Amino acid sequence: MALPISQKKALLEWKLYLFVVPSVLLIAVFAYYPTISAIYHSFFRWGGGDAKEFIGLKNFSDILADRVFWSSFITIGILVIANVFKMVPSIFLAVLIHRLKSDRWQYWYRVILVLPMIVPSLVTLFIWKFFFDPNLGVLNAALDQSGFKTLLVQMDQVFGWGVFFEGVPTAWLGEPALIIPALIIWGFPWVGAVGVLIFLAGLQSIGTEVYEAADLDGVTPFQKFLHIEFPLIMTQVRLMLVLLIIGTLQGYGLQFLLLGENGGAGGRGMVPGLWMFNRAFIAGEFGYACALGLFLFVFILGLTWINNKFVRVEK
Amino acid sequence: MNASTVSVGRKASDLPKHVLIWLVLGLELLPFYMMIQISLKNNKMFFENTWLPALPKDWVWQNYAEALQIILPFVSNSVVVSVTSTAGVLFSALLGAYFFARYKMPGGNVLWAAFLLLMLLPGVANIVTLFALLQSFNLLNTLWALIILGISGGQVFCIYVLRNFIEDLPKDLFEAAEMDGASHFKQLWHVVIPMSGPIIGTLAILQFLGSWNDFLMPLVVLRDPELFTIGVGLIYLDGEYVKQWGRVMAAFFIASLPLIIIFVFTMKLFVRGLSSGALKG
Repeated sequence: MALPISQKKALLEWKLYLFVVPSVLLIAVFAYYPTISAIYHSFFRWGGGDAKEFIGLKNFSDILADRVFWSSFITIGILVIANVFKMVPSIFLAVLIHRLKSDRWQYWYRVILVLPMIVPSLVTLFIWKFFFDPNLGVLNAALDQSGFKTLLVQMDQVFGWGVFFEGVPTAWLGEPALIIPALIIWGFPWVGAVGVLIFLAGLQSIGTEVYEAADLDGVTPFQKFLHIEFPLIMTQVRLMLVLLIIGTLQGYGLQFLLLGENGGAGGRGMVPGLWMFNRAFIAGEFGYACALGLFLFVFILGLTWINNKFVRVEK
Repeated sequence: MNASTVSVGRKASDLPKHVLIWLVLGLELLPFYMMIQISLKNNKMFFENTWLPALPKDWVWQNYAEALQIILPFVSNSVVVSVTSTAGVLFSALLGAYFFARYKMPGGNVLWAAFLLLMLLPGVANIVTLFALLQSFNLLNTLWALIILGISGGQVFCIYVLRNFIEDLPKDLFEAAEMDGASHFKQLWHVVIPMSGPIIGTLAILQFLGSWNDFLMPLVVLRDPELFTIGVGLIYLDGEYVKQWGRVMAAFFIASLPLIIIFVFTMKLFVRGLSSGALKG
């Protein structure tokens, strides 16, 4: 903890205030001001320049009638749910690495795990975009050569999806019905290095004697996970979950890179953040974009509040 | 771990676990394997042989020569932005964290709350008004815009982590330095910085990574191709050179190179920093 200080001594130490000036200035100008400015401008018709026209709550009533925005919320909802399940491989891998007897291997697996992080996530996304390419893409090649394509075609005939056909390359990012699946598939097998390392840090607190006792009682590996490991990483899982949900709701870089500013064929990959970006920088409706951003902002803030209130994450 | 713990119940072989781990890690690394092996092929070789690397004698180094020409300016712009903003963040965040950690100064709590609030506030609404703000500062189409945004964006997280760290340092160190008449800046320089190497390193890498990967802000801010950072540069490449995959992959590899170099030097620190829960917060 910081030391308490008397008023008198604080006056003598006034120079200390200079230390915090740069940080305070920076967040005031580049974090607080834009937020307040966004609230202010959400009541205006504004093209980003000096000219603006006060229109009251018109932007907000437009949001209520904005079909694209609401369907983008459904899309992001699906992606959030998918992302929650995409945490499973990270937990699985962390538990596997933790249960290894050799400390050396544990260390080396961590190193290998961090490797993908050095490739810019942007590059990873572009590689996946290339994987999805209908003619050259590696995903189609893998599905064809492994015979999974035949299975998908058969399933298509049963369920009537109308997207997979024998001999026709699958257009993952071009076929509206496949856009959301593609946004979920990318990054397979969905192992996040930071996630795994944080889970591993949580698992480290389990002593070997706990495992020995469990072994003596003849506990199965799955029961060990359920009763020993999972409760211990619950804090980390919740923390990651919260970060993940908020990150997914705010994010639109992924959709922008894979599908472009219009959310791909039929706009099926449109998410709220991308719609805001699109309205501001493509349509030039800055005021409306501010209102959209604000709407999202309040929504996420509400979720954060619920989380802090009901889902306590112990520090 | 001593011998006795290994002996009794945990005798079962770890082999199945290793196999599973390798399987998952292998799939995870597949995109990078593909990037590297395709970067050494021309399109014809790639169509004939998708999965396996070409024989070393057939490697098409020309891909790299061509990619380098296109991408080198982008890389150097990114290096300028990432290095400057990382240094800037750490400098201002160290000062700020020192302020919060050293004494409970009057007004400190209010400021701290203002910082913490930003952690909760989603930044999603900002990009539109930030753009307008940069416009009014005449910073559009400059690398300075990205540097300043990088510095301000990293403040909260770095100050949060560093404050906790500095508060845990032994108080006697500061007192001894004060006896010797060291100013606060000297205490920061001679007491805090020498002791916080790993944490500063970890924060620096995270900041650098974030800056290197950023493409939305550069896309909005930059207009001139000479100023493009790697993020915008690759988007631009993706649009233009769709046909020569070997060259595209070579460009991707070059774009990752600075991070690979940093990683080689800081691997131990980074793995430890993240594993020890230094960033658990």
